[in-house]
Amino acid sequence: MNKDDNHVPPLHVLPLIEARGIAKSYPGTVALAPVSFSIEAGERVAIAGPSGSGKTTLLELLAGTVRPDQGELLLDGRDLGRLKPGRELSSLVGMINQGYDLVPHLPAIHNVLAGRLGHWSLLRSMISMVRVRPRDRRLAEAALEELGMAGKLYERTSHLSGGEQQRVAVARVMVQSPKIILADEPVSSLDPARAEDMLDLMTGLIDDSGTDGPVHAPDKALIATLHSPNLILNFFTRVIALRNGELQFDRPAGMVSVDDLDDLYLLEGNQWPEGWDHGGPDRGPDPGEAVA
Amino acid sequence: MPDHRRLLTLLMVAAVIWSVASAGWGGPVFHTGGAAVLGEIASALFPPELSPSFLGLALAATWQTLVFAVAGITLAIVLGLPLGVIASGAVFGPGRSSAAAIAAARFFLAAVRSIHELVWAVLFVAAFGLSSLTAILALTLPYAGILGRIYADLLNSVPQEPLQALRVSGASPFRVFLYGRLPMALPDAVGYTFYRFECAIRSAAIMSFVGIRGLGFEIQLSLNDLLFGQVWTLILFLLALVLVVDRWSSKVRRSMMS
Repeated sequence: MNKDDNHVPPLHVLPLIEARGIAKSYPGTVALAPVSFSIEAGERVAIAGPSGSGKTTLLELLAGTVRPDQGELLLDGRDLGRLKPGRELSSLVGMINQGYDLVPHLPAIHNVLAGRLGHWSLLRSMISMVRVRPRDRRLAEAALEELGMAGKLYERTSHLSGGEQQRVAVARVMVQSPKIILADEPVSSLDPARAEDMLDLMTGLIDDSGTDGPVHAPDKALIATLHSPNLILNFFTRVIALRNGELQFDRPAGMVSVDDLDDLYLLEGNQWPEGWDHGGPDRGPDPGEAVA
Repeated sequence: MPDHRRLLTLLMVAAVIWSVASAGWGGPVFHTGGAAVLGEIASALFPPELSPSFLGLALAATWQTLVFAVAGITLAIVLGLPLGVIASGAVFGPGRSSAAAIAAARFFLAAVRSIHELVWAVLFVAAFGLSSLTAILALTLPYAGILGRIYADLLNSVPQEPLQALRVSGASPFRVFLYGRLPMALPDAVGYTFYRFECAIRSAAIMSFVGIRGLGFEIQLSLNDLLFGQVWTLILFLLALVLVVDRWSSKVRRSMMS
């Protein structure tokens, strides 16, 4: 799509994401205790954990909407805090939002093309609102078509079904085409069949196998928060588990069992009060004995 | 608690009775022939004055009033929209100069709307005489203040999640405004502007209080001559004008919803 086509990208030289002890606190709570990890291109990472575990904070840090209190966060080898908002940041990170985070009053095409706003000049952004360039229209059309929504280009977004709106949100990230695709509970509002469908589409975004669309490249990574152990183990290659803002484990999906994931929630529910920082990563089988 | 409330209710009822009673009923101010005049006014409605020459005059007066209202509200939108956008603070990043711009816009909007259109009219009559410019400017300033303030509030009360999503897509504040705030606030802003247009028609009609021509002026003249049939005709024209605008506004709003 751009100049990267002209040379072979230096695969595995730099991880896409390198987090070194990043942490975030809010008054009264530690949202995320210092955590370090690195994520390579091609990885599909599920961030698991109960509500309040720090999942969303971690995503916000990766998206650059929240700055870490400490630690270093490098995207593609560059300090996230130094990346310019707009073109630089938006070609590195994009977020698949829940369907209801779209602008309901606009036709679907504008909600899709909003993914290009970081790249467009101000003038072009303004003109596109009135008259979409044929090239941009084809870009949005191709994205929606790939998601099975051909012909809905000019439909008012609020008239689309919940699943269709979710697809429009995916299409927005497709035209944005960032290297790091984040998704905050992308399937929480979908029924099981549609959830699998959606995850198929999302994992397809970073897979180059089987499709030849312009958005499919082997240099992307997907990082999503979700709860369902089955979906996590079926669609992701790696699991980062959080609880009370602390890393519980970070393993390849092949080394994680459904029980591991269930425990993550069980302990929280039965044992630890909301927001309580008990200090240890121990996951004893008996919820009763760990209470100090 | 209930005792207190009952006492308060009693006091308020007493206050109303006292103020009504002390209004000077039956004194020299009271118009003893009021019932007869009221009957006369009511009977003049059947039928109102419908002679072609008077209908022509009423039509011309209606047109005059409509022109003032349209010009006034149009200039009010032209002035109020950019000031409202600035006052909302939605298109600026943080900073001292943008805070100053926001404060200045808010102050201007508050200042012009704190003065009633008739007071503006009196001031402009002194400056420009009984011209159309007086009527239009007198409407423009307070309506710009009202519209600007409402636009700012509407732009700031849209749902935040879609805006945040646009920011994450790399959109600058102005692009977030263009692709998020504006489309989400637009239907309410249009509806409110139409409502204010109706108000501007009424305001344009009462510009007669300072001597400017239009429906109100003609009503005043007919009333002075006790020609109630003519008064009714003029009132019906005013009513028709407002009803037409009302229908138009619902039509526009419906088309924006679909």
